[in-house]
This record gives sequence, C-alpha cells and structure tokens, in this order.
Amino acid sequence: MFQIKWIWENMKGYRGRYILALCMTVVGQIMYLTNPIFGQKIVDTFIYNENAAENLANNSRLLVMLCLGMVLFTLVRTVIQFNSNMLYEKCSQGMLARIRNYLFANVQKQDMTFYDRNRTGDLMTRLSGDLDMVRHSVAWIIKALLESIVLFTTTTVYFFILDPIMALCLLALTPLIFIISGIFRKEVGPKYVDLRERLSQLNTQAQENIAGNRVVRAFAREDYEIDRFQEKNSEYAEANKAAAMTWLKYFPYIETTAQGLSVVQLIAGGIFVITGRLTMGEYVAFSGLIWTLSNPMRNVGTLINDLQRFMASASKIIEVYYSRPIIVDRKDAVEMPDHLNGDIEFKNVSFSYGDNEVLKNVSFKVNAGETVAVMGETGSGKTSLVNLIPRLYDTNSGEVLVDGVNVRFIKLETLRRNIGMAMQDVLLWSDTIEGNIAFGDSDMPDSDIRTFAKAADADSFINSLNDGYDTIVGERGVGLSGGQKQRISLARALAIRPSILILDDTTSAVDLETEKTIQENLASLDFKCTKIIIAQRISSAKDADKIIILKDGKISEMGTHEELLKNENGYYSEIYRLQQGNIE
Amino acid sequence: MARNKYDVDERLETPFDIRHLKRAMVYVSRYKWRMILSLSLSAAAVIIGLFAPVITQYAIDKVIPQKDIPKLILMAALLLLTIVVNIILATIRSRIMTKVGQDIIFDIRTDLFEHLQRLSFEYYDSRPHGKILVRIINYVNSVSDTLSNGIITFILELFNIVFIVVFMFAMHWKMALVILAGVPVLMLFIMLIKNKQRKAWQAVSNKSSNLNAYLHEGLVGVKVTQLFVREDENAEIFGNLSEAYRKDWMHAVTFNNLLWPTVDTISATIGASIYLVGLLIIGPASVSLGTIVAMSGYASRFWQPILNLANLFNNFVNAVSYLERIFETLDEPVKVSDKENAEVLPNIEGNVEFDNVTFAYDESKTILENLSFKVNKGESVALVGPTGAGKTTIVNLISRFYDVNGGAVLIDGHNVADVTLKSLRSQMGIMLQDSVVFSGTIADNIRYGKLDATMDEIVAACKTVRADEFISEFPKGYDTEITEGGSTLSQGQKQLIAFARTLISDPKILVLDEATSSIDAKTEKLLQEGLDRLLEGRTSFIIAHRLSTIQNCDKIMYVSNRGITECGTHDELLAKKGDYYKLYNAREM
Repeated sequence: MFQIKWIWENMKGYRGRYILALCMTVVGQIMYLTNPIFGQKIVDTFIYNENAAENLANNSRLLVMLCLGMVLFTLVRTVIQFNSNMLYEKCSQGMLARIRNYLFANVQKQDMTFYDRNRTGDLMTRLSGDLDMVRHSVAWIIKALLESIVLFTTTTVYFFILDPIMALCLLALTPLIFIISGIFRKEVGPKYVDLRERLSQLNTQAQENIAGNRVVRAFAREDYEIDRFQEKNSEYAEANKAAAMTWLKYFPYIETTAQGLSVVQLIAGGIFVITGRLTMGEYVAFSGLIWTLSNPMRNVGTLINDLQRFMASASKIIEVYYSRPIIVDRKDAVEMPDHLNGDIEFKNVSFSYGDNEVLKNVSFKVNAGETVAVMGETGSGKTSLVNLIPRLYDTNSGEVLVDGVNVRFIKLETLRRNIGMAMQDVLLWSDTIEGNIAFGDSDMPDSDIRTFAKAADADSFINSLNDGYDTIVGERGVGLSGGQKQRISLARALAIRPSILILDDTTSAVDLETEKTIQENLASLDFKCTKIIIAQRISSAKDADKIIILKDGKISEMGTHEELLKNENGYYSEIYRLQQGNIE
Repeated sequence: MARNKYDVDERLETPFDIRHLKRAMVYVSRYKWRMILSLSLSAAAVIIGLFAPVITQYAIDKVIPQKDIPKLILMAALLLLTIVVNIILATIRSRIMTKVGQDIIFDIRTDLFEHLQRLSFEYYDSRPHGKILVRIINYVNSVSDTLSNGIITFILELFNIVFIVVFMFAMHWKMALVILAGVPVLMLFIMLIKNKQRKAWQAVSNKSSNLNAYLHEGLVGVKVTQLFVREDENAEIFGNLSEAYRKDWMHAVTFNNLLWPTVDTISATIGASIYLVGLLIIGPASVSLGTIVAMSGYASRFWQPILNLANLFNNFVNAVSYLERIFETLDEPVKVSDKENAEVLPNIEGNVEFDNVTFAYDESKTILENLSFKVNKGESVALVGPTGAGKTTIVNLISRFYDVNGGAVLIDGHNVADVTLKSLRSQMGIMLQDSVVFSGTIADNIRYGKLDATMDEIVAACKTVRADEFISEFPKGYDTEITEGGSTLSQGQKQLIAFARTLISDPKILVLDEATSSIDAKTEKLLQEGLDRLLEGRTSFIIAHRLSTIQNCDKIMYVSNRGITECGTHDELLAKKGDYYKLYNAREM
C-alpha cells in the first residue's frame, strides 16, 4: 500500500521511537493480560483455600507483598503505556509537522496553473482536515491494530496449549469476520471519498463567502449565501451520516459474530466438559479470556472503517505532495551574475491559457534602463505579456530573453530577484506596512523602507495612520483604499532595487497629483532599471522610450509617442484624441 | 481598529463559565426526545446485558453438571438471543445518535454562518480570513462527538456509578468507603491539572488558528511570494508556526495522557487495599470471604466508568476550547443591523440627503464632520479628491455599511438607519474597488445581481457595459467557468463582469467606486456611451481618478480632509480656480 510506504518515508527521525512505542504497546498489552494473576493468587491462597485462615495468620507478608506487587505492576504498566502514548503523540506530531511543512513549501512552488485548477478551500481541506486524519491513524489506528493483534495471538497460542480442538472451535468464526469486513470495506471506501469531497466543497463555499464578503453585503445577498451554504452544509452532514450508516449496516453482523464467540464457547465448551474432554477449571479459563478474542474481532470493523477514511484523506494529500511544478530551474541553467543588466527581448512569443490564445507572435526588444509602456484594450494580453518575464507562465512558442539569455535557462531565483513587479490585483499580507514593503528582503533597514515608501508617495499617508509603519493591514490590504494599497505594492516592488520594474496598471486608483509625483520619482531612481509600464492613460505612457500597443494578442503599433501619433488611425492616436479632447 | 495577524494569538475575552455549557445544551436540547430515546435504549441494553452472566452461570452450575445437552443448546440459544437483542438496541441507538450529532453540528454551523453574514466589513478586515474559516469548518467538526455521544455516555456512566455505589454500600459500607476513598484523590488531581489543561488546549486552538491563517494567506498570496522569491522564508515562518503548534499540542496532550494512568493506578491501589483491609484489618472473622471477593469485583466495576468519565473529561476540555471560540464569534456584536421596528423601504426615487453627518471609524480620528449635502433623484454626482479623504466613506454611509456618529443619511426622506438593510441595499447598486468574482460560470456571476435574470437580460447587461464582446470570444461564451479569484480573466474583464452584475440589479441609486479604473480608455469610452443612457433616471455616485469619466456629471464634489470644499458642475468648478482646477491641470499630457 503506497500510502503506508509514504507515511513510513515521512517518519524519518521518528522511526526508532515509533518502533519502541510499538514494542512498549506489546509489553503493556501483555502486562494487562497478566495483571489479574496477582488477584487470582490472593484469592487462591487467602480466600478460597482449605488453609486460608492458616495462610493468613502465618504468611500475611505474602499478602502484603502480593498487594504491593499488584499496585507496582499496575504502576509500571501505566508508566509504560503513558510513555508509549506520548511517543505515539511525538512521532505522529513530528510526522505531521514534517508533511505539513513539506506540503506548504511544495504548494508555494507550484505553477500558476496549479492554482487555476485547485481551489483554496480544497487545498485548505487537504492541509488541515485530511492531514489530521493521517495523524490520527499514525497515532492511534496502528496502535489499536497492534493491540488487537497482540491480544488475539497471545490468547490463541494460550488456547491451543489448553485445548487445540476447543481453540479451533472458537476460531471457526474468525473467517466470517474477515468476509463481512471485506464487503464492508468495499462499500464504505467510496463513502469516505465522497465525505471528504463534501468537506472540501463546504470549505470552498465558506472560503469564497469570506473572501467576497463585501460583494455579498453590497448586493444584500446574505440570505442567498446562507441558502447556498446550507446546501453544502447539509450535503456534508448527509455524507457523514451515510458513511456512519454504512458502518452501522455491517456493525450488527460483525458484533454478533464477535459476541457469538461466547455462545460457541458455551455449546462447545459445555459439550466438552460433559464428555470429559475439558475440566471445569479449563472451561473457566477459556471463558475468562474469551473477551481477548472477541474484542480484536469486533475492532476489525472499526479499524477498517478508520483505515478507509485514512486512505481517502491520504490519497488527496499525496496528490499535492507529489505535485511538481513545470516551471523549474533547468539542470543546464546558465550561470548569471546576481545582478542582471535588464535587457529584455521577446522573440516570436505565443502564449495561451488552455484553448484561449492570448499572445500571438509577439516580438520586441528593450534595452537596459529604457522605459516601455504597454497599452491596449481590456483582455488584449498586456498582463499575460509581463507575466512571461518572471516566468509566472512559460511561453508556448518563441523565447523571452533577459540579458540575451532565454529566461528558461536562468535560475528562477536569480531571475525573479531582479524583477520588481507591482500587480494589478494588489495582494498584501496581514502584516505591518513595514513588513509588507520589506517583503522581498526582510533584513531591509528602516531607512530603505521609508525611502521607497516616499518614492511611491506612500510615506505621508502611512505617517498619518495611528501606528504609522507598524500599522497592521488586513489580508488583501483591506482597510486601505485602493490607491493606498497600490502605493504600498509599488514601494514593495521598488524596495528590492530591481533591474526590471514591471508596473501593471499600478496607479489606476491613485489620484492625478499622486500619479504625477510617482512618475517623477520613478524617473529619478538611484539605480538603473528597465521599466515596463502597463497603462491606460496617455499621461503615463507618453514619455516612454517605446510604446507598445497590443490588440488581440498581437503588437499592432510600436514606437515613441511622436511616432505613434503619426498614424492617425491608430489606437494610440485615438486614445490621445479621446483624452486630449477631455482636457480641452 | 486593532487588527490581528497570523502570528498573534487571539486573546479570549471571556473567562470560561458554566454558561458555555448551558449554551451548548440549547443545541442539544432541540433533540432531547431523540436523546431520551437513545438513553432508554441504552438502559434497556444494559438490563438485557445483565441476563447474559445469569444464563452462563446457570449453565455452568446446573446444566453442565447434569450433562443435559438439549438444555445446554437452549441456554446457548437464549444467550444468542440476548446478544442479538442487545446489538439491535445498540445499533438503533447509534443510528439515532449519529444523526443527532450531525444535526447538532449542522445547527451550530448554520448559526455561525448566519451570524457571520450579519457582521460588517470591519470584522473581516480585522483578522486573517483563515482564522474565520477554521472556526466555521474545523472547530465545529471538533465538538460533534462530545455534544452527542459524549453526553449519552456521560449520563449512562453516571447512572452506572450510582448503581454500583448503592450495591456496594448495601453489601458492606466500610469496604465501600475504602473503594470511595480514591475519589477525593482523583478529584484533587483533576483540580490540580484542570486549569492548566484548559489553558493548554486553548493554546492549541490558538496555534492551529494561526497556522491555518498563515496557510490561507500563503495560498492566496502565492503569486507575490513567487515574484519576490520568498518561498523559503515563508516556509520557515510556517515551520515555526507548525513547531509552535506541535509544542503546545504535546504540552496539552500530556495532561490528557496523565489522567487515565492516574485513574488506573488509583483503581489498582484500591483493589489491593480491599484485600488488605478485608483480610487484615476487618478480618475474615467479621466479613465473609465471598464479600471480599465481591467487593473487589465492585471496585473494578466502580472504577471502570470513572476511567471512561476521565476520557470524556479530556474530550470535553478539548471541545470546550473550540466551543468558546465558536460562541465568541456568535457573540461578536452586529454593528449595523435592522432596528427593532425597522420598516421596509418602499420603492425609492433616489433623493439622497446628508444632514449634518459626522463619522469616525474610531474615536480618535473623525473622517467626516457635520457634512450636509443634497442630491436629487436622477442626478449624477462625482466625488473627487485626494486618496484617503473620505470619498469611499461617504458612499459607504449611503448603503449604511457603517452607522453615522451624528446626523442622518436620508433617502427620499427615510433615514437609512430606520429601514431594513435588505430593502435598502437591494435598491442600490454598488460597485467596489475590488472586483471580486466567484467561482462559477460567467452567467452565474452576473446573475448574482438578479437571481432570476434570464439569459437575454444577462446578455443585454453585458452588451451595455461592453463585456459581451470578450465573453462571446471565449469558446464556451457565457458558460465559461471562472476559476476562483478569476485568475484567468484580466482585471479589466473582471471589472466589466462586476459592472454587468451591478447593472442587472436595476438599482435606483448607483455607486461606482473606481469601478472602471482597470478598463482601457477605448473600452471605457464605449462603456461611457452605454452608461449615459443607463444613468438616466438613476441617482449615481461616481468616484474616479480619471477625470474623463466624470466631466459630464451633474455635480462634482471635491472631498478633501476638510470635508466637501467645492461643489458644482465641471465648468463652474474650473471657473472657481480652486482645488478641482488644480487637480484638473495636473493632468497635462
């Protein structure tokens, strides 16, 4: 079973302790079985004995010793069991942390396409609920399984020594248990797959509702949201019931078979005593230990139930665990200096999302230090174009070159550390403003943080907040206005002193005065940097060394402000007239 | 407002008290008849269970010595019968209780979600979303078993104990006292660890909340992480949170694991003491040997349910640490809610008036002071001014996302505070800065504005906002599935979809807060034409930095930190040569 192997793989560093814990379980279980011997001895010697009174008078020391032994034995056993339980906890928590940390690191490395496929709520389910199920099995299911096996085998051996025929009679029911549980396993497996799918849907529903809480309020759709959530909530509850009911459908048969042992024992044992095969004492010995056979048998069902649940969860985690990004460093990556120069070239680049081709044969060249403005209609491929430079996506054909090297041959870390990108959809972290600006380099000195906040014209509004730079902004920067978020995101991009600065419509929500200040600041940065600016306004684009107009994924116009204005029927001229017209 | 971040534990404001339990019982008591039925079934099963030893005893003492095989088989059949009846009862009980457990969870989760729908932006803005999410999903799941089977087991074990105590005292009260002597010791132990154990489990729930919050952010912000090559550092932060959780878990679970060995050891000590006391102190002279054996049997039968109760206690402490959090969320005050006798706002015409409105997000900083203005139905009003001056705040007050601190916001003369939120907001169309789209098809997303919209209406709305063009270019058109967050759409496309969604709701008052910022100039121009028709007959508030969007508005208000400093048409304000004039001239080409 692959899942088990996978778990074992992740128990590294804890395997020894886990095995020790398992051994301690065996010892503890055996001590548990032998515990009653003390009581038995007391009863035999001092109570039901012809010389009981005599023994008591002469040998009261033995009685005290036996009583002490009983307490000590229990103490030792509980100490062993306590320690083994703590070891299970330690191992399972260690394994849990290891898998969880690995999963987190792994999901962070996945391509954007992975996130287009997997929903946040679903990934959350895998990394919380599913993972806890796996922990539970490592901590308890395997332990319970072992306890059952120890009980069952020890007693079986003991019973065979006592009387093989009688033992065989008792064991006759065992295959039945396995047949029933086999059928049960087949039926309950899909139920647990369904159950965790429902949980994932519930998680997704809640997650989207929280993320979109403003839209929900704006449309007064609270009741509608509640209805939709109720549906998922109730489906999840029903799936839970369905899984439990499947168990309860088989439970009576498994339980009857397990408890049926005492019936078999009564008939077979009774007949054997009658026929003289067994003594009454032997019969009592069998009957006293019959539970050690029936308990493991009834546990088979519960264990299979839990195991199926584990399987459903584990396979979902394993999917993410072994998911590998396509965009990775190549083995034959070219050695590049830490600081890139910033030349960019697109050579016949085409790119599509699935069937939807967004860039077609795009070619252009930007020299280090130059500024390029990219304009075009909504959906013309502007963002897709800049996403290719830091390799958020890979081209379908053609090449993107930085400093003359295809980006596929540059180490991702080198490439991305040289690119400062402020995205359209601003994403901040629930951290201080300071922490957000220093996101690219947490060791950044405070003075730098302020310098770049000033460059992004954010310093003054940050200072006006009660906690200044220590203000915690909510996830996605909620609590700040759109323009404020954009400026923090700009400061964050500038703060890594990138060789290539990409601004994806970064000033769309700031007012005009601020935009002007920012433009001036960007023109006088104290480091050389190639700028690619996606803009809607002529004012943001006109000073660029090169202006690229995209139309349906193709470059339709390219040149300087003056050059583009010469083409009177062009998009640029049209926009110019549009915006110019508004001024006059 | 104080915000919480991923690595800050949320302080629990309320100390634990018995009311949490009473409150949990409210959910349980809805199912009290089913619980009582289960309890009766369990009691019946216990009584039937008592027959089994009697049957075997009879068989051993009488039937086997008499060598009466037919009677032996009869006894075996009887035994099988008790077993089967017992199992049937147990199965029925389990079926009932599984359903009850799930129904309780369903109810709690529903209440939690419904309450969350009533909470304002602030609640969502002031904590990581992952922390809200774990409460709805993981925490609620964690209490299900304790609140269903836990309660039944508790009651049964309690009965069991009472039953045995009565028997013990009836048999030999001195030895019964010996058996009970262990109870104070156990109580003392529980008293000693109780508070620590509770605190420890609270810490665990906190740490799990932190961990999940960071996980959630990590997933949502993955693009930024990759762009800034922060994978390793984030993994380290996550590793630390993970380690903090592990440590607190190990600490908490130690208490749980200490409890049952203690019970076990006390139980063994009591068992041994019975023999010592019975044989050596009281002596066989004054107590029959059979009594001693029976009492030692009772001792283990008395301590077994206590052991079970100890385990229940552990689960209970654990569950309470989650229940507290759930109730805390349920107790989160709803800041903006319908007044007790709120009226339904009749169909409005769209006159909006601010009458001496004063507003502050927190007391230290007043955003709006004594603001008064009037907008007539059908007028379009543009709000311009520096970022952070309060433009968004003004429009948020119209839809009553916040309550004013002084003065009143009136719509057609109705104070917005006096009408139901639903009737108010459903007549308004608000387009926010963040154009959030939901996963589902494009058509589904637009239908969010009008749940019963026909396909024709959807297409018409999209045509008006110029979204139809790009939508019909997708291979699946309006049935194109949007992934979460709309990652395959451009920001501009998302804004157009959000626009169509707002328009289809046919609002009398329209609020556009930077609604077209990501739309290119050409599309915007086309959009504008459609929009002009649409704005007719609707009162509209437009916040935009691109002055091109707003020049044709009936009124332009310049909002600065000092309130509305200028108000008039584009030409009037230009003539005034004030703030707007300066702003306008900043826009040189």
